[in-house]
Amino acid sequence: MNENEENMKELFERFFDSEQAEEIERDIRKGEQILGQYPAPEPDRELIADIKAEVAAEAVIDRKANAFRRMVYKTAAVAAAVIIITAISVRLFESRPYPTGRDEKGASVPEKVIAGAVIPESLWESEDLAADDTDLAILTAEIEQIEEEILASGLGENGGNGGEDITELEIELIAINSDFWKG
Amino acid sequence: MPSNDNLARIIAGCKEGDAESFSELIDIYAGRCYGYFYRLTGRRDVSDDLLGELFVKLVEKIGTFKGGSFECWLFRIASNIFHDYLRGRQRQRKLFEAGKEQLELKLAEANESEADAIDKLQIQLGKLDIDTRELIMLRFYSQASFKEIAAMRSEPIGTTLSKVHRGLKKLRELMER
Repeated sequence: MNENEENMKELFERFFDSEQAEEIERDIRKGEQILGQYPAPEPDRELIADIKAEVAAEAVIDRKANAFRRMVYKTAAVAAAVIIITAISVRLFESRPYPTGRDEKGASVPEKVIAGAVIPESLWESEDLAADDTDLAILTAEIEQIEEEILASGLGENGGNGGEDITELEIELIAINSDFWKG
Repeated sequence: MPSNDNLARIIAGCKEGDAESFSELIDIYAGRCYGYFYRLTGRRDVSDDLLGELFVKLVEKIGTFKGGSFECWLFRIASNIFHDYLRGRQRQRKLFEAGKEQLELKLAEANESEADAIDKLQIQLGKLDIDTRELIMLRFYSQASFKEIAAMRSEPIGTTLSKVHRGLKKLRELMER
């Protein structure tokens, strides 16, 4: 007998008349009684023990696989969150008014390059560098003075030891040259 | 049969991968599922294999059980396994013919014991078409209602009722001969 009791007669009356429904119900109940009178063989105990062992092993594998799957899903979720946050941040950054490299209509424009000038504009446009560049004028004057001193030393006009004087002048010349290039 | 609460507890344990819960589930359903396979195949060796396959499949699928009738869910898997077996061998008719011959031989050898009665039912079942036989076995072993069986088979309930009625009536006539 079926344990899932349902009102079969009521069910059959949806499709057949009352008399037919009653007959069909009787046929089904008798047929199911026959099945109940001839029980099928039971599975062997050894078989059940083998199945339980196999299922236990499968359950362990399945549990490990699920744990790994959960870890992968978590990692993927974190990666997705990072990608989404990055994408949103980039979008917000780009949506500033007149972003770099674009005009007010959004068209691409070359970016303005700002760089420090090594040579002052006044010197760049000068016709006489020696007169307009103060540093160069000072250097020129110093060189001229040293030339004169060398010449005087060479002629012994300053009354000193000519060789030492020339050496001192050379040292002085090197110092001036170094200062000039240091700026 | 366990109470609904007890069954729910066992199923929850199975979903956690608890081997003891699976063991309990096997104790509850192994007999009915084995009977279902045996009545369809008529062979103990095949029924042994299919029963093992069913419970291994259960481990894989238990996470997809979302409530409702567990018996219906379990026997739907059992039915799929049986159909896979038939398809895999591609010898549906040969199988039942061979099974019938085997049972007839056993019947000839048997005396008037209970084994004789079992074989007699198996022989008469072999005279029903496979669809009707499976439907009758599904109804008997799953203990599902006609409505649930119709849903399992994705067919109108009137069709299910009609097939079961015709099949059981014919089986009774065969058994009374």
